[in-house]
Amino acid sequence: MSAPSLPTAQPLAALAGFAAHLREHGFVVGVAEQQAMVQAALRLPGALQQPARLGEAWRAIACHGARDWRRWPDLFQRYWQPHRSTGSTRVSGRTRPPRDIRQLVQQLHESLGEGGTKPGATAADTALSDSPAEGEALSRHQGGASRTEALHDRSLHEWLPQDLALLQTLAERIAARLRRRLTRRWHAHPQGRRLDLRHTLRRSLATGGVPVAPAWRQPRRERPRLFILVDVSRSMETHAQLFLRIARAFVVAAQARVFVFHTRLAEVTPLLQRDSGAVQEKVNAVTAGFAGGTRIATSLDDFHRVHARAQLGRRAEVWVLSDGFDADEPHRLGEELAAVRGRGARITWFHPSPAVPASAAMTAARPQVQRFVRLASLRDLSLAADLID
Amino acid sequence: MTTEASPQALRESLHRVGYIADEALATTLWLAGSLQRPLLVEGDAGVGKTALAQALARAEGRRLVRLQCFEGLDLSQAAYEWNYGRQLLAIRRAETGQGGGAASDDTALFSREFLLQRPLLQAILSDEPCVLLIDEIDRADEAFEAFLLEVLADWQITVPELGTLRARHVPRAVLTSNGTRELSDALRRRCLYHWLDYPTLAREIAIVRATLPDAEGALVKQAVAFVQRLRREDLGKTPGVAESLDFVRALHQLGHQRLPDEPAALAHVLACLLKTREDRFQFGPERLLQVLEGRKAGGDGVAVKHATPLP
Repeated sequence: MSAPSLPTAQPLAALAGFAAHLREHGFVVGVAEQQAMVQAALRLPGALQQPARLGEAWRAIACHGARDWRRWPDLFQRYWQPHRSTGSTRVSGRTRPPRDIRQLVQQLHESLGEGGTKPGATAADTALSDSPAEGEALSRHQGGASRTEALHDRSLHEWLPQDLALLQTLAERIAARLRRRLTRRWHAHPQGRRLDLRHTLRRSLATGGVPVAPAWRQPRRERPRLFILVDVSRSMETHAQLFLRIARAFVVAAQARVFVFHTRLAEVTPLLQRDSGAVQEKVNAVTAGFAGGTRIATSLDDFHRVHARAQLGRRAEVWVLSDGFDADEPHRLGEELAAVRGRGARITWFHPSPAVPASAAMTAARPQVQRFVRLASLRDLSLAADLID
Repeated sequence: MTTEASPQALRESLHRVGYIADEALATTLWLAGSLQRPLLVEGDAGVGKTALAQALARAEGRRLVRLQCFEGLDLSQAAYEWNYGRQLLAIRRAETGQGGGAASDDTALFSREFLLQRPLLQAILSDEPCVLLIDEIDRADEAFEAFLLEVLADWQITVPELGTLRARHVPRAVLTSNGTRELSDALRRRCLYHWLDYPTLAREIAIVRATLPDAEGALVKQAVAFVQRLRREDLGKTPGVAESLDFVRALHQLGHQRLPDEPAALAHVLACLLKTREDRFQFGPERLLQVLEGRKAGGDGVAVKHATPLP
């Protein structure tokens, strides 16, 4: 599978390195995207003169969502113009070969351009799939956030594999229990039963056009959308790891979106999608910049205003995993929870303490929470499985 | 019916039909045409996602085929449906011996003649290249999204009774989404992606000028600047481009040469911009005056909220 026919594998390797760089930061960039990027570089007129334009084209190919879109300019600059970005990127040991986007396009044209674009693309395909430089490129870019203390020393090393399996089955059981709700259009209909004309007529063809067995439209029920907010502040240090484990189980079982917060809020769903021992470290890296303390109300505000703005509806289910100690003004927590409720979402509060949290903020916010559930161990979760619907 | 040769040319022809695109958008749009990939446009309501597809159709002289998605949209509304009424008629006619016996066998009953074309099939079977707009794809169900994969990847639709129908000309597909639901990765990966943001001041002025050439220059500038300041406020529903167009149009028709200074004159025109009760309530005369004069909010504004974090 080597590509000896390619005289200069350099541009493709650089591109593969860029793809690896993007993947490292949570982008979904496969061979298809890389191929499209090569195509774009070959076809876009003026790509040589205006690398920025090529950057825009690649942005459209590599980004698959608003989150990717916002992170792109930084990642692009970090890879192609590392000398310009300040801070975080650190080169250790080996110096990196200069990356120049113009050069890359030039070389791409030289090596692939003349043979027509289509054969060029297939050649690129094989070269990309086993690019030897990829691993190198991966190791080269270890810049980014530092991994700080906080949580990872309190590991769940004593967990046995069967515990993990148990957690997963529990999560699946709870996810299956989450009540499926009727979609809106069926609530409005008094009978909830309507003739499915298309099916009826289709069936009637068998009986010569006489609708003997009418078909009815079935009301649809859908699972709620699950949002899990995990408090990772100091006061929750001992529990955060368990909570993240549990949250991960629900990402797998119910496609939940998971956020962590202490003074600010950040989404960690992409980090939790793959099972690895390093989940905790990845989350630490995300939250490393946060200051100490807990600002639940501010985080909730950010949650319903920015992150989940469009998805918080009648079918949303919000789980907050926190002890309820809030550094914001006590009245705000209630207000923010009311705002979340106002969108139609249902709120369940999981607390590690034996009793329901009774901080000033929580007392005020209590009416907004549908349910309080204790959660300090796996056993609690299995008990909770019967409560949740 | 031409596909533009370069992003710049595409940008200019979009400009000619009154859509002011920035360079990144034009590049993406051009690339989508060049690679024959659908383009997924996301952004807040009212930033001109749908207008983009309409402008593209006009700029390239193509027909626009529009599919508006909603909850419960199914194949019979989106792709095709058999014309049961006509089929039954044909059967009856065959029974009574009129109209030749053509309809008596299956193949004749399930021919193109009895097929009702819905937007997706129209776009696929169109004799001339067209622009296919799939609007608010996030409102459709996941099942429908999965069906779209075949259409968008291979440009074909399979009708069990007829076989696979392939596109004669690959349509330029534009999908829009408001993010009410997370789209599947499979769909996202088949599309190019563009996040359409609120336009910059200069671009928005150009947009308003292009749409309302009669309005006075001073009025357009001041009104757009006002809307841009308003967008920075903490609003329940941020006004989009369509709203600022309405706003300038209303001021223009009321005979204003420039943006009125006193809040009282603006109060009723604000209905074009502020669309929720809370927003109207929040923008009383004093608050409005502050925004008019470009002052930052005092008291409990957003800036204050995120100031010094408590320990």
